Amino acid sequence: MRSSPKPRPNGWDALVVLVVLALAAGSALAVWGGGRTAAGPGTVVVTIGGQEVDRFPPEALLDSPRTYSGNGYTLELEYGLRGGGDPPLNHQAPSLEAGVQVAWADCPTRDCVRTGLITQRGQSIVCLPAGAIIRLTGTGAEDFGGVDAVVG
Amino acid sequence: MRRFIGFTLALALILSLTACFGPPVDPDTVQESIQVIAMDTAMFISTYGKRSTSAAYASEDLIRDLESKLSRTEEESEVSRLNAAGGQPVEVGPELAALLTAAEKYRADTHGAFDITVAPVVSAWGFTAGAFRVPAQEELEALLEKVDGSAVQVTEDGAGGYSAALAPGQSVDLGGIAKGYAADRLVDLFREYQVPRAMAQLGGNVLAWGDRPDGTPWRVGVQDPARPDEQNAFAGILNLKNAFAVTSGGYQRYFEEGGKRYHHIIDPATGYPADSDLTSVTVVADCTYDDCMGALCDAFSTAFFIMGEKEALDGWREWQEGPPSFFDLVLITEDGRVVVTQGLAESFTLEEGSGYTLEIVS
Amino acid sequence: MKLTTKQLTLCAVLTAMALALSYLENLFPLALAIPIPGVKLGLANIVTVFALYALGPAQALMILTARCLLGAMFAGNANALLFSLLGGFAAMLAMILLVRLERFSVYGVSIGGAAAHNCGQMAAAVLTLGSAAPLYYLPVLLAVSLAAGALTGLVAGSLFQALEHTNLRKLI
Repeated sequence: MRSSPKPRPNGWDALVVLVVLALAAGSALAVWGGGRTAAGPGTVVVTIGGQEVDRFPPEALLDSPRTYSGNGYTLELEYGLRGGGDPPLNHQAPSLEAGVQVAWADCPTRDCVRTGLITQRGQSIVCLPAGAIIRLTGTGAEDFGGVDAVVG
Repeated sequence: MRRFIGFTLALALILSLTACFGPPVDPDTVQESIQVIAMDTAMFISTYGKRSTSAAYASEDLIRDLESKLSRTEEESEVSRLNAAGGQPVEVGPELAALLTAAEKYRADTHGAFDITVAPVVSAWGFTAGAFRVPAQEELEALLEKVDGSAVQVTEDGAGGYSAALAPGQSVDLGGIAKGYAADRLVDLFREYQVPRAMAQLGGNVLAWGDRPDGTPWRVGVQDPARPDEQNAFAGILNLKNAFAVTSGGYQRYFEEGGKRYHHIIDPATGYPADSDLTSVTVVADCTYDDCMGALCDAFSTAFFIMGEKEALDGWREWQEGPPSFFDLVLITEDGRVVVTQGLAESFTLEEGSGYTLEIVS
Repeated sequence: MKLTTKQLTLCAVLTAMALALSYLENLFPLALAIPIPGVKLGLANIVTVFALYALGPAQALMILTARCLLGAMFAGNANALLFSLLGGFAAMLAMILLVRLERFSVYGVSIGGAAAHNCGQMAAAVLTLGSAAPLYYLPVLLAVSLAAGALTGLVAGSLFQALEHTNLRKLI
């Protein structure tokens, strides 16, 4: 044997248990605290031609916008805040008001730019000529009172 | 003693995994989502249930299959070959045969307001390629001569195959009923895979299958035609369960030239964008017992937009045999009213801040 | 590092057992409470704990790596590899530390290992999904790790007690 195991539980184990409990309680406060809503933009997923090409939180765009191309058309995706305004000073802090929008695109009708800012899971920006879909997705508590789909 | 402790610990472990901590997850809510660009739009389908993954991918295959047969822009599709045949008969599959037959029936039902042969006129305005222009009157008159849905022939060849033929100079575009047809096929698929609930957003058409995982109906927002570029700008919310909804409105695709707005819903009688007193028409059908009559809803939404409020409501009454309604309508008028037919009275909620007044008709 | 044939054989047998344990733990309906794909109880840590005491950190690490790679290959799932590697290595680090401190029994070591294992899996989930959403389940996972760690400790402890009566030097 390299080391001698102590097969019977002893008082020190209680220390380990306490530390784990403290971690559990701490993470519960941090993650669950302030109501169980998991609203917010979630994760940005970019699909081109049916293939997923990128997946990131909106904050990743704060350092630099990202460009995507498909079928010869290009579009640029940038971070945006609901109601306009500047991004938070602490760039890493996720914001409930955060979202993404297409800064510019070179397709004929520019529908994707017209769509504007999307900030909630399930919303999407579509560029048909490029075959690109930019969607906000994510797990967590579902119900925040929005709609499930839009007809029209 | 040790065995007892071990057993207790194992039991505690198993018990702790039941829904005591965290949100309980019902196997019925296992979910899969796919997205596909087809039929000139983006489609998002989410399926639930144990077979949600296979159902979702089967849905994607189904849509791509329909796209390959029905797309007017894909050269090898059945529709493209039919359009290129210059009046000669072309072999077509059962789906296209059924759709062409149905389209003709809807044309008759709507007194010509819905006509798939209006396609060349729509192209002349530039809506197909995206190069918008206002065609000259003579050009439109020449094109209108060829617009005649009754000239489309579909014949069975007796061996279970079909062939179709247009009149020379005609072209058809099935975009006005393809998504509705896809919805009907999806319902068959969901039944086959025993999918308890699903939400399919096919461009602006919505198939709300089953209800939400929490047991409440699916919430479908009706886009406010006055604010087409805004997110979450609704005229009202439809609470739907096992239903299909499709909307037609000029605000969906248009261009402006010389200070005038020209939209994509061309009236086959005039060759011009329909000048109606409606800004949007939503047709809602129930799919609980049979299919959703998706193609019919799709066609009627276009036709009713062209026909205007009075004729649309007349058309609705013609089709009703008493409750439950065959289908129901949400009409948004130019003078700021949202007109909802009786069958949707319970399911439609007007959006407070939209500025519309609600009217329920029977 | 020189391995005797006996040690090599023992490592191989332990790797096989660890693989079997990781399949066994899939029978527990963990996904009902924690719907993150790839999350596991960590029962295979029984083998890691045993190897750590019996053979030392180097060989325990070898067994862990082999088990993770083989497990991912058999499952045909590269995602599973990330989860088991991050979880396993985190557990390994925590357990090496706890053993070094020479105060804790196998129970303390196992519980610490299980908690670290779940933190590693959480890290893997956040990386794969690219969002902080899985963190929602961290408190539950940590609570479960208390029970899972205690069970692991119980099995390992029983094993060592059973082996006390044998001459371990002849085995290893």
